[in-house]
Amino acid sequence: MGGKRKKSESEELIEGEKDNNKNKEGSNKKKREILPSMIKNKEKRSSVHAKLKHEKKLEKRKKLKARDAAEKLALELGEEPAPRMVPRTIENTREPDETVCRPDDDELFAGNDADEFSSVLKHDRTPKILITTCRFNSTRGPAFISELLTVIPNAHYFKRGTYDLKKIVEYANNKDFTSIIVVHTNRRDPGFYLTIICGCLSDALLVIGLPDGPTAHFKLSKLVLRKEIKNHGNPTGHLPELVLNNFTTRLGHRVGRLIQSLFPQDPEFRGRRVVTFHNQRDFIFFRHHRYIFETKESKESDSKGKKAKEDSKSKKAKDAKGEKITKEKVIARLQECGPRFTLKLISLQHGTFDTKGGEFEWVHKPEMDTSRRRFFL
Amino acid sequence: MPRTTTVDCPGCPPLRALTFDALGLIKVIEARGEQGGVAKVVERWGEPETSKCVLAASIDDSKHDPLLAVARKSGLIEVLNPLNGYLRVSISNVSDAGARPEDDAVVGLHLFRRQRLESASRFCTLLTCTTKGNASMRSIEISNLPEESSSSSSFKSWNVCASGTILCSKVDRSENYAVFGGKGVEVNLWDLDKCTKIWTAKSPPKTSLGIFTPTWFTSATFLSADDHRKFVAGTNSHQVRLYDTSAQRRPVMSFDFRETPIKAVAEEPDSYNIYVGNGSGDLASVDIRTGKLLGCFAGKCSGSIRSIVRHPTLPVIASCGEYLDAPLHLDLSGQLFAHLGYKVTATSLCGLFLNSIVVFLKQHLTEVVFDSTFADKEVAQAAADPHIDETYNMKEIQGDETETLPVKRKKASKEKDNESKRKSSKEKTESKKSKSKKKSRRVKVESDDDA
Repeated sequence: MGGKRKKSESEELIEGEKDNNKNKEGSNKKKREILPSMIKNKEKRSSVHAKLKHEKKLEKRKKLKARDAAEKLALELGEEPAPRMVPRTIENTREPDETVCRPDDDELFAGNDADEFSSVLKHDRTPKILITTCRFNSTRGPAFISELLTVIPNAHYFKRGTYDLKKIVEYANNKDFTSIIVVHTNRRDPGFYLTIICGCLSDALLVIGLPDGPTAHFKLSKLVLRKEIKNHGNPTGHLPELVLNNFTTRLGHRVGRLIQSLFPQDPEFRGRRVVTFHNQRDFIFFRHHRYIFETKESKESDSKGKKAKEDSKSKKAKDAKGEKITKEKVIARLQECGPRFTLKLISLQHGTFDTKGGEFEWVHKPEMDTSRRRFFL
Repeated sequence: MPRTTTVDCPGCPPLRALTFDALGLIKVIEARGEQGGVAKVVERWGEPETSKCVLAASIDDSKHDPLLAVARKSGLIEVLNPLNGYLRVSISNVSDAGARPEDDAVVGLHLFRRQRLESASRFCTLLTCTTKGNASMRSIEISNLPEESSSSSSFKSWNVCASGTILCSKVDRSENYAVFGGKGVEVNLWDLDKCTKIWTAKSPPKTSLGIFTPTWFTSATFLSADDHRKFVAGTNSHQVRLYDTSAQRRPVMSFDFRETPIKAVAEEPDSYNIYVGNGSGDLASVDIRTGKLLGCFAGKCSGSIRSIVRHPTLPVIASCGEYLDAPLHLDLSGQLFAHLGYKVTATSLCGLFLNSIVVFLKQHLTEVVFDSTFADKEVAQAAADPHIDETYNMKEIQGDETETLPVKRKKASKEKDNESKRKSSKEKTESKKSKSKKKSRRVKVESDDDA
C-alpha cells in the first residue's frame, strides 16, 4: 500500500514539476508550489533539488552577465554606470549601539591613559608573554603553541605541570612577564579555550588597591595549523605588524588594546609580516601573512590590449613609446603563514584570574542575545 | 534565543541621580517631564584623572542646603554642593604622614543628615572608614571658600578591627549605629555615640564535611528604617545572610545567590524585600524572610554591580557597576512587582520583567546616589527663591558692612570662572549666587556674635 501511495505521489510530483517548468513566469497562478523538501523520496528529492539549484545558478550568471554588459556599454558611451547594489548583511544592518566609541571622546583617551595596558603601549615596558597549557593537553595543543611562539615575539612556553593558575600568575609577576596565555584543550581535537591574562604584573607599587590586568576568556575554534594550509610560508623572526580591524565599541576597544599589548609596539617593516585580528559579528578572526610588493611589467601588445588602450588613451598620451608600451605596476601579494583560528569572547574579568571571587566587566549571557543583529565588540 | 516579552516602557519619572566613576568624574543624570521622560547625562564635573578615582560617596539631600561628600583615591575627602558641583570643603583623610593613601583606602563614607534645628549651623559630620579599620567621625565647618574650612574639634577616631580588611560599612537610618564587615572580619555593630562595639557576629559552623569557608563580607545594609537590629550582609562566597542582633550571633537566615560574589545589597523600605547584585551582573529581588527569589532584573547589565540605591520616594532603584556596556540602570520597581503579581500564577518566579532605563556612561562606575529633592524641583525652586530673596533683601535693609559683600561675590565669581566649562542653568547660578550671599550674611552675623 505504501508503495502505491509513493508511486502516485511521485507521479503527481513529476506532473507538478513539468507544470512548474512550463509556466515559470506564471507560477503565481499555480495553487501550490512544490518544494523539494516536501518530497519524501530521497532520490527524487535530491534530483529535484539539484535541478533547481542549477537553474538558480544559471539565472544568476545570466544576471551578472547582463549587468556587466550594461556597465560596459555605459562606460563606452561615456556615462556613469549605475551604482552597484550593496548587499544587505547582518553586519551592515547591525542594531545601533550607543557604546560605539567616537574619535572625539576625550573621556575615552583619558581612560586609555589610565588603563592597565598603557605602560606596554607607551613603550615603557616591552611585552613578555608566558604561554602555558591546561593540565592535560593533547597532541594538537603543543603544535598550536609552537606556532603561537613563532607568531608572538618574546613569548616563552612553560610546562604547566600541576601548578595552580594563581601560582603561575604570581610567578609571572615576579619574573616580569606582562601577560599570560593559557591554551586549554578540553576535547582532543578541535575545541580549545584560550585565556589571556594581561598586564598581570605591572609594578606592585603603581596599583595596590586593585589587582591589575583584565582576564579575557575566549573560545577558540576553527584552528588550522600551518602544515594544513596549502602553499603556506614560513615567517621570519622580524617583529610583526599588527592589524586590528573593527573593534568599535567600548568593550571592543578594550579587547583590542588587550590584544595589542601582546605584541611589541615597534614593527620591523623590513620583515613584511602582518598579524591580523579581524572582528566580524563578534568573532575575532586571526590570520598571519607575509606580503610582498612586486613590480610587474605588463606588456600590452596591439592584439591584446587594443580596447584597454583606447580606454586609457588619454592617460597614456604622454607616454610616447609607440606600439609597445611596458607599464610598471606595483602589486601586493600575500602568502599565508598560519596558523588560522577564530576567537569568541566569553568573558572579560576585572583583575587577574579568579573564578570564585572575580568581578566581571563583561560576561556573555543568553538573555543578551535578543537579536542576531546585536553585537558587543 | 530567549523568549522575550516586550513591555511598553512608560519612561521614568522625574528624577536626578549622580554617578561617580574610576576617573573621578561626577555625572549628573536627569529625567524631566511628568511621564515618559528620558534619562540622560546633563552635566559632568571634574577632569578625568586616575588618582581622583571615587571610592565612596554619600549625599545629604535635605531641601535646604544639600551636601555631597566624596572620598577619592588620593586620600582626599571633598564636600560638594550637589546642585552645581562646586567644592565646599576639601580635607585629607591621611592620618599619619608616612602612610600612603593607596595603602589605606577609604571604603565607607557617610554624611550625617543635619537636624532641622541644627541646620543653621555650618557644621557637617562625616563618618569615614578605611580598609585597615580606622574609623573616624569628624565635624567640618563649611564655608563658601575651600581654603577657610577646617576640621573642628570634635574628631573621634577608633579602630574597628585588629586584623583583616574592612570592605563594607553602613550607617542605619537613625544614624546612631553602624555596621562594619570585611575580609577576615565578622560583621560587627557599633554604637556611634559611644564609639563602642555592641555586637559581633559568629561565623557559621563547619559543614558536615568539616569545610569552613573563610569570612569575607562584601556588602551590608540595614533592613528597616526604625530597627537597627536587623541587617543583611552579602559574602564573597555568594551567600546572603540576615542577622538579628537581638536573637543570636549566627545568621537567622541565609541563602545562596548564583555563583559569583555578592557585590551590593540594598533594602526596600517598609517591606522585607532586598535587592542583591553580584559580580557577574545579576540583579535580583529577594524576600529576606523566606529567602525566596522574587524576580531577576534581566536588563542590559553584563558586568559586576558595584552599587544599588533605592530612591527614597519613587519606586525606582538605580544600579551601577563595572560593565562597560551600559553602566547605569534604573528600574521602576513598582512595575516589577506589578508584573510579578501577574506572572506568578503562570510560570516560575524568576527572570521575567524588564522595565529599565539604561544610561551609557562610558566609565567603570563606582557609586551612584539619588538626589531625592529633585522630583519637585521646579516647584521647590520657585518656592525657595523668594525665601532666599527675602533674606537677601532683609540683609540689604540691614545694610551694614556692605564692603565685605563685594569681596565674597568676587571670589564666588572666580570660582564660577574656573568652572565655566560646566553648563549650569541660569536659575541654578542665580540660586547659588543668592545662596552665597546668604552664606556671607551668616558669616557676618557670626562674626558679630564673636565680637
